[in-house]
Amino acid sequence: MPPARQAQIAALVEHYQNPRHWSVLEDADVTMPGGSPECGGSVVVYLKAGEEGRIDALSFTGEGDIISQAATSIILEQVLNEGLAMDEVLALDYETFVDRVGREAVGSRTRNATLGLSTLKSAVRKYQKDNLHASSAAEPARSCG
Amino acid sequence: MEQEIEQKGYVHPEALVTTEWVAGHLDDPDVRIVESDEDVLLYDIGHIPNAVKIDWVEDLNDPLVRDYLDPEHFAQLMGEKGITPDTTLVFYGDKNNWWATYALWVFQLFGHDNVRVMDGGRIKWEQEGREMTQEVPSFPRTDYPVPQRDDSKIRAFKEDVMEHLEKRGPLVDVRSPGEYSGELLHMPDYPQEGALRGGHIPGAANVPWARAVREDGTFKSSDELREIYEGEAGLSEGDDVVAYCRIGERSSHTWFVLKYLLGYDKVRNYDGSWTEWGNAVRAPIER
Repeated sequence: MPPARQAQIAALVEHYQNPRHWSVLEDADVTMPGGSPECGGSVVVYLKAGEEGRIDALSFTGEGDIISQAATSIILEQVLNEGLAMDEVLALDYETFVDRVGREAVGSRTRNATLGLSTLKSAVRKYQKDNLHASSAAEPARSCG
Repeated sequence: MEQEIEQKGYVHPEALVTTEWVAGHLDDPDVRIVESDEDVLLYDIGHIPNAVKIDWVEDLNDPLVRDYLDPEHFAQLMGEKGITPDTTLVFYGDKNNWWATYALWVFQLFGHDNVRVMDGGRIKWEQEGREMTQEVPSFPRTDYPVPQRDDSKIRAFKEDVMEHLEKRGPLVDVRSPGEYSGELLHMPDYPQEGALRGGHIPGAANVPWARAVREDGTFKSSDELREIYEGEAGLSEGDDVVAYCRIGERSSHTWFVLKYLLGYDKVRNYDGSWTEWGNAVRAPIER
């Protein structure tokens, strides 16, 4: 196995076995499910909002394959360590995140790798939608083809 | 015939082997053990010694068209894995052998019917504390002849399902009750993987695929399976049955159960499944 892929898999397995921020956040403002336990994996992201579009706390629970669970742990760790605000979370790029998780290990399973990030974005959107007066962020454009 | 399998009363008990049988054939040159998982990294962190990996996305799907690989690529894949048309293939995997049966079903499209499933799959092998390795085996390349692909016997297309529906043929929807009822569609950020409409094909019985297995991952006995598929879902031996799910992977598991364990001769897997039907204009839907 190429060393880069081996290292990426080792990092994913480490996150899978020791997920960061893995808990139910009892006082969450938003509880957002994502994915399907029947297909790939599922997660529930808990978000506690701070003031002025900031995030006070995040956590997740879930079940599924190594990539989806580990990548959710990675994104929550990143957002909290870097102190990203809600709008900054919405601006995160999926492809950049897959690079960070490890493209050699993820292969064609990019959907699994971005499950946590997409669910987190959904949680942010729901918070902003429910608290429009408190946010200046516009609803992101949707493709309606 | 292995007693543990035989006593479960299947019509084709030869389609299953036990973990013990596999443990005794790890170095058998006439046998190739094939792991196919949903969790694509499991093989990398440990697998049965001498097992090769088949990735259902990267190995079995056409990269452009929504279809399976063509006969030339199948022959090439078999050559790379050191498989000949006479090789006995033993499939196993995670999630109650869900993906193992899917790979097996695709192999059958190409007429490779010398196939078995390891009863209990990966979880049973692990729980029995059997040997696992990260070493990827290498087998001498074989010259697998390019096969004919015959989709007609075990694969149903949308137009086949429409005909089936007109004849009031039995259908089995193997998805979860939430998908069957139409409550669950898809993840918001992945509309391309879902469907515009929820529900099920009219008249389909709902038998979630995993009901066919026990808690330890092994298949239920013939009597238990007949109670589910015939007693509850109303199927009869001799029926022409179409099974479907979201993209045809879970229904391949039910296809395997009906065809091999219960001996139904006419079972087809509709791999277009709900991602096709639930998006098709004017396709009839029931909720």
